[in-house]
Amino acid sequence: MRKSDNKITTCYTSLECNSCKILQKRKFTDGDFVFSSSENCSDCDGKMMITKIFGVTMD
Amino acid sequence: MDFNFDEFLAWVGEDIDTLMMLIWIIPVIVFVFYGQRIQLLISSNEIKKDIDKLEEYTASTKKDFLNYVKNNLTSKTDPSKRLDSFFDYFTIMPVDMDPNGIISKINHLVRSREDFIRLQINGMFSDLSSVELSKLQNLLEIVTTLQLFYKHTRHLYLTAKKQKNFPLILPLQMMIPFIMEEAVALKDAMPAIKKGQPIGDSIGPMIVGQMMLDTTKESAAFETVWSKTTFEDRELFLLKAEGPNATVGRPGDGFEKIISNKKPDLVIMIDASLKLEGEDSASIAKGFGAAIGGIGTERFKIEEIATKNQIPILALVIKQSIHEAITLMTQTIADKANAVRDELHQMIRENTTSGQTVLVIGVGNTIGVSQ
Repeated sequence: MRKSDNKITTCYTSLECNSCKILQKRKFTDGDFVFSSSENCSDCDGKMMITKIFGVTMD
Repeated sequence: MDFNFDEFLAWVGEDIDTLMMLIWIIPVIVFVFYGQRIQLLISSNEIKKDIDKLEEYTASTKKDFLNYVKNNLTSKTDPSKRLDSFFDYFTIMPVDMDPNGIISKINHLVRSREDFIRLQINGMFSDLSSVELSKLQNLLEIVTTLQLFYKHTRHLYLTAKKQKNFPLILPLQMMIPFIMEEAVALKDAMPAIKKGQPIGDSIGPMIVGQMMLDTTKESAAFETVWSKTTFEDRELFLLKAEGPNATVGRPGDGFEKIISNKKPDLVIMIDASLKLEGEDSASIAKGFGAAIGGIGTERFKIEEIATKNQIPILALVIKQSIHEAITLMTQTIADKANAVRDELHQMIRENTTSGQTVLVIGVGNTIGVSQ
């Protein structure tokens, strides 16, 4: 999270399960990069792949 | 001669027009003789505020960079002093009086500089991964560029003030908003680079990277990978910088290697492009020609190979501001990935027939994006 000119940007990681295609969004953690799969799906135990990493800015 | 104030007031009282004339004439005379100096004073005050901001950005990014190095990397000796000397490194561009062959000279110069910095940083720290090394190169580039902006603007400002030369400050007054826009973007790029997060410019490698999943990747050039896949009876060659490193790779060299294997019938380049004022962020535009930024050497190489082999080049760009291009990727840009992929497929369908080969190049910094 960073603050610039009263704007706060939070970085999020978007993941998709390779098996059940469920989508999840969580806050970015160090070591995340797009198209890496390190987590298991909470629904079907399949592999989750990071599809997007992006910032959301709030005033 | 004795001046009698009462007499003067009495005279003025009789002739109010003369007083009004004096009130108008004095400022005119002042502006005729001192107009430029007054303008210089006003303009230079505004510029000074921006120069102070540039100084602050340079100092804060430098401190940020050195703290990052101290907290995240292991070094035998204190690297601050050596890194500090890198901030002042300069590049002397080749003589352009005879422009023949200048591209290869610039290419050699830029690559020598990159190789030198890479070698020096690599020798300074132990167990440095390629991702970390590329991040350090990018961070160093940010600090060096901000320092260069600060020093050059300060030089022009001080020269104009010293010589009391108003015309000299005019070009600076015109350029400073653009310099500040880029400086703010560079300052704001630091957190994303430090954490290895994708930036707006990573959208091209992100699209090609997804197409490369489940294919066999091979090295095409330094920090550049390629692979093969198929799409509706067409053979696709995919080329991008090697992620998740913070690098743009060498697509020109990669194209050269691919063409020695098999000549593609069409080249499509996907890249982030600076939007014009009034254009929407993340809007998609299609066009002709090599979509690639930088100093121009990679574009030259791609254009030369394409011309020699009579291969048409199409461009697919995602519009964004300079700030969006080098800072953490916005949700609007990230959400456009599927739409860009659909446009790419449409371009392939419209411009090739079954059995043909297409080279798709994902241009840009692939930080935080693998394949």
